[in-house]
Amino acid sequence: MELFLQRLVDGFSEGSVYALIALGLVIIYRGTGHLNFAQGEMALFSTYVVYQFGEWGIPIGIAVVMGMAVGFALGAVTEVAIVRPISKKSPFAVFIVTIGLFQLLNWLDGAIWGGQQLPNSGVGSKQVRFPSLFPSKPTDFVTIFGANIKIQSLGVIALVAVLTVGLFAIFNHTRLGLAMRAVAANGDSAKLVGIRTGRVLMVSWGFAAAIGALGGVVFAGINTNVNLGLMFTVFIYASAAATLGGFDSPGGAVIGGFSIGLIQNMAAGYAPKWVGQEMKVGVAFLVLLGVLLFRPSGLFGSSRVERV
Amino acid sequence: MKPLFNIKSGGPASWTIRLSCTLVLAYVLLWIPTSGSNSLIDTATTALTLMGAALALNLLLGFTGQISLGHSAFFGIGTYTTAIFVTRWGWSPLKTLPVAFALAFVVGALVSLPALRIKGVYLALVTLALGVVFPQFIKWPKIAWLTGGSRGLTDTGFKFDKDNRTFELFGWNPWGNLRGENVKPFYYWIAVVIVVIVYLICRGLVKSRVGRSLVAIRDNSTAAAVMGVNLAVTKGIVFGLSAAMCALPGCLTAMKGTVTPDTTLLTAIGSITFLIVMVVGGAGSLWGPIVGAIVFQFITEKTGDWADPKEIPSILRPLFSWSDVAPAGGIFALTLVILMFVAPLGLAGLWKRVVTRIVNVVPKPAGSATVGAPELSTVAMPTWKPQPVSAEADEVK
Repeated sequence: MELFLQRLVDGFSEGSVYALIALGLVIIYRGTGHLNFAQGEMALFSTYVVYQFGEWGIPIGIAVVMGMAVGFALGAVTEVAIVRPISKKSPFAVFIVTIGLFQLLNWLDGAIWGGQQLPNSGVGSKQVRFPSLFPSKPTDFVTIFGANIKIQSLGVIALVAVLTVGLFAIFNHTRLGLAMRAVAANGDSAKLVGIRTGRVLMVSWGFAAAIGALGGVVFAGINTNVNLGLMFTVFIYASAAATLGGFDSPGGAVIGGFSIGLIQNMAAGYAPKWVGQEMKVGVAFLVLLGVLLFRPSGLFGSSRVERV
Repeated sequence: MKPLFNIKSGGPASWTIRLSCTLVLAYVLLWIPTSGSNSLIDTATTALTLMGAALALNLLLGFTGQISLGHSAFFGIGTYTTAIFVTRWGWSPLKTLPVAFALAFVVGALVSLPALRIKGVYLALVTLALGVVFPQFIKWPKIAWLTGGSRGLTDTGFKFDKDNRTFELFGWNPWGNLRGENVKPFYYWIAVVIVVIVYLICRGLVKSRVGRSLVAIRDNSTAAAVMGVNLAVTKGIVFGLSAAMCALPGCLTAMKGTVTPDTTLLTAIGSITFLIVMVVGGAGSLWGPIVGAIVFQFITEKTGDWADPKEIPSILRPLFSWSDVAPAGGIFALTLVILMFVAPLGLAGLWKRVVTRIVNVVPKPAGSATVGAPELSTVAMPTWKPQPVSAEADEVK
């Protein structure tokens, strides 16, 4: 029971990171129909920015807010300067450009914040310690039903819950949210009724990147350090989460994120020989494949009509 | 603007150009292992490895329009097939090539089964996940008895000491002497043979009836199906072939001696590298990946030690001296983004655009010619339409 509870909370706290990244993916996908492969790397860039602010002596709480602002700017500029002009050419070009951004941002992180490229893995080896948003000393835990739950995990879950509620309030109860939903439902009609779709898309990308920044910071906090390879697997988990929830459903992305976190932590915990730490990502892969094969629209997404 | 020259396809002028290009190519191929330095031979071998993988990816992505970010896994299947057969069962490395080819074909065809339902970016996601899972799978304790786990395998290549032979061709030895100390030309020639095989398979497919159906699938799969192309079978075979061809250069990696699951080309980074090589060179062009691999490897080698500002040529120093790591990754990422704006068909497309201003090749009359590369104007890029967000959105239009 204690072990179960511990795994539950661990799964939820990791899942909340996946939920954040997946939420960013979904917001962008709803607006433009593109899958942003650079989502994880945008988050990583902002995380390094937060680290830099911390180095300059800014308290971590303020640094995170500033990092999210930088993330917002990064996302918005990317949409306006790169993605919008290229999406007029072909969706394939957008795919290539997001891959290019993925590589560019990862290289930029290494170039600015250091990190030798290991000759063999290609992933930067240098790690920098990252401060946690919440108390994370080994003694910082509470005991619930006999299980020792880290305060950090609880804090992360609470933070993500608050943020998600806030986001849904924005989606459902503000003019901006209404405009975003209108653009997602039908971009051309939204333009005809006078919504500035360009600005809405810019803000969507900004939101996505800012949420991603928070996800990156939280994950780096859980991980206690940040390195160039931090977001590779997180991106896979997040995209599995978005697929599971349905690519056009923000609520689905959050639920999907928590589910993926839970599933893989439970699998790794209860089948250490079969899954263990090595094949955690294999579990996500199977979920991704299974969902796409048997229910391509995900749990909460709207289904598409295929003719061939 | 009128082109300066008009050349008939198949005419004497066309043949002269072809012949001289072939001769120059043959000369360069022979010159590298015989007169080039050891590091040049190494560079060339790596470039050839990338070439093979990028050519394989090009068949799938450039011609059929199916996105794969999982080719590092197929590459790795080749590597580990050779490594395992050589270390566990004592096979000769060259004999493992067909085994790797067949194995990767089967795995590729299996992967293509979901790919028939999964399209566009979703396929990219699934294959990316495959690329990420592969090295983890190799490290999996359950199969570590076979793959050596995260420590990898050693002595996976040729055992030169046993058969201490040199090949001599009229007193001249381009193969390198195989006594263990200078085997680089030997690997080089294996790489050349692999690339030639892969290129010929691609060329044979692309310039045939199958190739036309591939392009049809890429440009409009509905129309292709209506015209009688069997989508499932064609896609499956192409996916399998692409995977199988990608495994061959993978085998070469193992033949060099040691294998670990963290080798760059075996991780998802490898898939992205192949993609970059292919797109920079030119997607949907047979020569594109070849040019791309040469350019990629050349720049990567040249800028390899630029993390140290002293190594940078003085003109470029202000541009790159701030960077803590070698700039090649950033250069290619930026190139990728810029190319999508100015030349979506890569260097090969750019070259074609320039050459058609100078030389115009007049095609043979219809019916006697084989179908060449798709025209720039009609087929810009592999296209899949953005999926409408919901069924309703489709109906409103």
